[in-house]
Formats: sequence, structure tokens, C-alpha cells
Amino acid sequence: MRDAFSRCLAQAAQADPRLLLLTGDHGYALFDEFRRVCPDQFINAGVAEQNMVGVAAGLAKAGFRPVVYGLSAFVPVRVLEQIKLDICYEQLPVVFIGDGAGLVYGQLGSSHQSTEDIAALRALPNMAILSPADAHEMTTCLKLAFEGIGPVYVRMGKADLGVVHAQPPLFDWGQIYPVAEGNGPLAWIATGAMVTTALAVAADWPGSPVWSVPCIKPLDAERVAAICRRHEAVIVLEEHSIYGGLGSAVAEIAAAAAPTWICRIGVADRFSERCGSYAYLMREHGLDATSVRRQVEQFMARNGLHSNQLAESRRAA
Amino acid sequence: MTQRFDPIRLRRTILEMAYAGSTVHIPCAMSIVEILAVLYRSYLRLDPNDPDCPERDYLVLSKGHGVMAQYACLHELGWLSDADRQAYFRDATRLKGLSDAHVPGLEVSSGSLGHGLSVGVGLALAAKRRGTSQRVFAVVGDGEANEGAIWEALMFAAHARLDNLFVFIDANGLQAMGTTAEVMNMGSLVEKLTAFGLESHEVDGHDHAALANTIDELLASKEPRPKGIVAHTVKGKGISFMEHDNTWHYTRLNAQTFAAAMRELGPEIAAA
Repeated sequence: MRDAFSRCLAQAAQADPRLLLLTGDHGYALFDEFRRVCPDQFINAGVAEQNMVGVAAGLAKAGFRPVVYGLSAFVPVRVLEQIKLDICYEQLPVVFIGDGAGLVYGQLGSSHQSTEDIAALRALPNMAILSPADAHEMTTCLKLAFEGIGPVYVRMGKADLGVVHAQPPLFDWGQIYPVAEGNGPLAWIATGAMVTTALAVAADWPGSPVWSVPCIKPLDAERVAAICRRHEAVIVLEEHSIYGGLGSAVAEIAAAAAPTWICRIGVADRFSERCGSYAYLMREHGLDATSVRRQVEQFMARNGLHSNQLAESRRAA
Repeated sequence: MTQRFDPIRLRRTILEMAYAGSTVHIPCAMSIVEILAVLYRSYLRLDPNDPDCPERDYLVLSKGHGVMAQYACLHELGWLSDADRQAYFRDATRLKGLSDAHVPGLEVSSGSLGHGLSVGVGLALAAKRRGTSQRVFAVVGDGEANEGAIWEALMFAAHARLDNLFVFIDANGLQAMGTTAEVMNMGSLVEKLTAFGLESHEVDGHDHAALANTIDELLASKEPRPKGIVAHTVKGKGISFMEHDNTWHYTRLNAQTFAAAMRELGPEIAAA
């Protein structure tokens, strides 16, 4: 996914001299290609993210197309107010890239983990939020982001979990689409790196459709409501706090348009307790496949839902 | 015949707006009147018919609390009407209490301190990259300079050799809760600006000629550095009972204080 990002960025910059890449001294080797092919469009703004976002605003006002890169723990969180006032209020076409979203920088601790970025940005008017699941979704997401219609945040999570798609899927703003079809009682909605987990676990409930959500905001409310109506329960997976992220967005739509059971699986309202690798922390937070499966079973049992086909199939065997 | 951007008339406009809208933040508008008057009268290259002319110079009011002074200048330009002036701060009108870039003629939304200078730095960088001769004049409060983002912006501007950026520090010595020395003593601002790589001067911020001379000198400089001007000013300048009295940061005018303030400014100057 990082390769796709790096390649798309360099291509876009070559095609459009207005594109300027700003980084707060992050992304060392990631931008080798970019710096090689368009060195004049690369700006290292130093370890000073507040200024970097303000400078991006000024550049955008004057007709440039800034792309602001940072770790998602810092951009958007550290500079939320600059994004709110300097960028979103002015509806400026600035693309923010938040790298290492979720628990990717596991061992470095809470400063470098980001499980609140979606929630923070969802509350900002005019801000679009993209969250690609693999390199192919990243390619399409960047294409949308570079259209330059306004502020966009591209959330870049764990990069090496394999591909979901065989080629860049075609989707537009707000669109969500199935990566597994089915009319079973459970529907799965996932974003970012959790799409691969959703695909793996949903297979235990035969006939479960899995929807990938590369565009969290705007979100196709009618489509989500239709999914909520069609299935007994909806399982939402994200590598983000269960507060304010995709699960919340789906639950909000369901509450208003199609009340149903929504099982939100994400990071509970707490920080990581221990040092650990990505895999370790995904287990600690209950986001590995085994933990997800167990949480879904518990959710179904607790709420008296009877579509636990995994258990049934195990009994039959 | 009156001169455009006459400081007395700008101050009268500020008082009229503040009284009509029953607003606070009067003294921090008064302190920057001469700075804005000099810039609008003599230096800012604007298209009088198009506030958004792409080739314009930028006046970036980073200390957005002083926006009434800029509104008064926009009124001089004819970009704000008498009706706008009377409607200021009222429900469903367009002039808000702090600088707002949705108003033609205002470049930044700077209600929160420490934002505007960075946007100005971006505008100056854009001008350099586009190869235009546009200049950015940013006005920053000395209290606002407590914000770390201001120093991030200055570092970047010096590093990027933005000699088209002019940073005015409105050094009126007062901030929300007291004097700058009491709240956050920053020492010599001109030394700090110089240390951060700016070509810097100190000047009496109410002396029109001194301001113009300083700007002329900096404009003539060949040094590839951003320019800093620490303008020593008086918060509430021109109204004796507001000067040096920080309670006026939060105080509204009533009929008596409005009349007294207008009297101090002298008789109405005949329109041109």
C-alpha cells in the first residue's frame, strides 16, 4: 500500500506542478521516488506541524494543491484546530495523509498509535475521510483525493496484509461495495486493514456479505440502511476506537433509518497497556481473527440472535 | 478634503461599529490603526474593484481580535458599506467578531491565536513559487506571540528565505489577563525576531512617518530574509480612558462612554 501511495503521489505531482508535498520531517525513504522525479515539489516543513498545516492553507489559497503527510497520530490529531479553521472552514483542497494509522507503530507506544483520528475528523464540516483496505483501494482513493474538491484525509493503515482486490476498484465518493456477496443473516462492514480480517472471519458464517468502506465520510447512508434492513445483524470492524469511527457512523444511520443490531468491533475506550508488535497489540485489543470471532459469537448470544451458523455447522460436524 | 485611511476616521468607525454591535475588543483594534492605515494607504497593492484579485498583496491579520480596525479600512475602500458597519455583530449579518476569511478583503480566519502567520507564510511561499512580486504583511499580537505556532512560522519563513513577508508585531504590552511582562515575559521581541532569522526593526507603531520609513528601508533591503517590525503601540490608543486599562478588553461602550470616546477623537472630519 505504501508503494502504491508513493507511486501515485509521484505520478500526480509530475502531472500537476501545483501539487506540493509537505512533510513534518517524516517519511524518510517513502519519498525517495518523489524527490527524485520532482524535487522542487517536496517541502520538508520541519518538526513543526502546526505551521505546516497553516502553510498548506496559504499555498492552497494561492492555487497550489498541497499534500500534507504525517503519522496519523500527529496529523490530524496534533493539528486538529489548524485543520478545522485554516483548511476546513475555508474548504481548501488540501490532502492529508495519515500514515501508520491504528496500531501500526505498536512498540512505540501511545504517542505513535492513533485510534481517534477518524472520530476527530468526522466532526469537522467539509472534511472527507478515505480509508483504503489495500494497495488497489489506495490507488483509487488517491485519485479521488487529488480531484481537489476540498479537504481530504487519507488514512493509511497496516500496509502489508495482502490485497483484497485484484485491481483498483472503481468507486466514487461515499460509495461502499461488497468484497464478498451473500444473503446470510449477518452482514460485515469493515474499513482499512480490518477488511482482510472481516473476510477471514465472515467465512465462518456462510453467506455473509462483506462490505469494504474506503470512504468513511461521506458515507452512502441509503446503502448502509439497506444493508441494515436486509440482515439480522451488522458487524462493523475497524482499527480505531469504537467511539466516533465507522461503527458509530453505521450505528447512527441505523438508529435514524433502519434500526437493527450493530456489533461494533474496534479498540475499546482505553490505551494500549503493554509494549508489543502489531500482531500482539491486535490481540490485546481483540482485533485479531480469533478475538473477533469470539466477540461476534458473544454478541449474538447476548442478544438472543440465532444465526450463529458457525456453531451450528460445528455441531453438525 | 480628507485623506483616505485617516487614523481619526478609522477610530471613529471602530467606535461606531463597537457601539452599534455592543462588542468588546475595542482597544486591540485601536492599537493597530496606524499600522493598517500606513499599509492600506501606501503599500498594499490591491484592485479596488476586486478584493480577491489573484495578484494582490496580502494583509494577514493574525491577531483576529483587532478585526474592527481592518473592517474600518475595508469601509474606507468601499468594500464594506455603512449598512455593514451598522449591522456588525448583529444576528444573521456577515461581519463576525473575529477575522473571517469569508469576508472579501480579509485573508484569514484567525479567531484562534497563532494561526494567521502560518497562512501568511504559505501565501508568501506561494508568491515565490509562482514568481510574482506579491508581498504579505502579517500583523501579529505580542500576546499572540506566546503561541508556539508563531515561532514555527518564523523559523520556516527564515529558512525559506521569504523576503516578501513582513511581520508586524503589535507590541502593546497587554494581553487578556495582564501585561505581557506579567503573563509571559518574552524579553526583547526584536532580538527574538532577529535570532529567528528576520531582518528586524523596532518602531513607534503610532508614528505614521516612522512606520513608513521602516517599511521603505526594509523594502529596499537586498537581504533574502523575512522582515520583522516590532511596533510599540498603546492598547486603546486615542481614547484616554481605554489606554493602558485592560478591563476595556472586555468592556462594551454605553451611550456615555461612546460619546466621551467620540469627543476625544475630535469633531467629525468632513467627507471628501
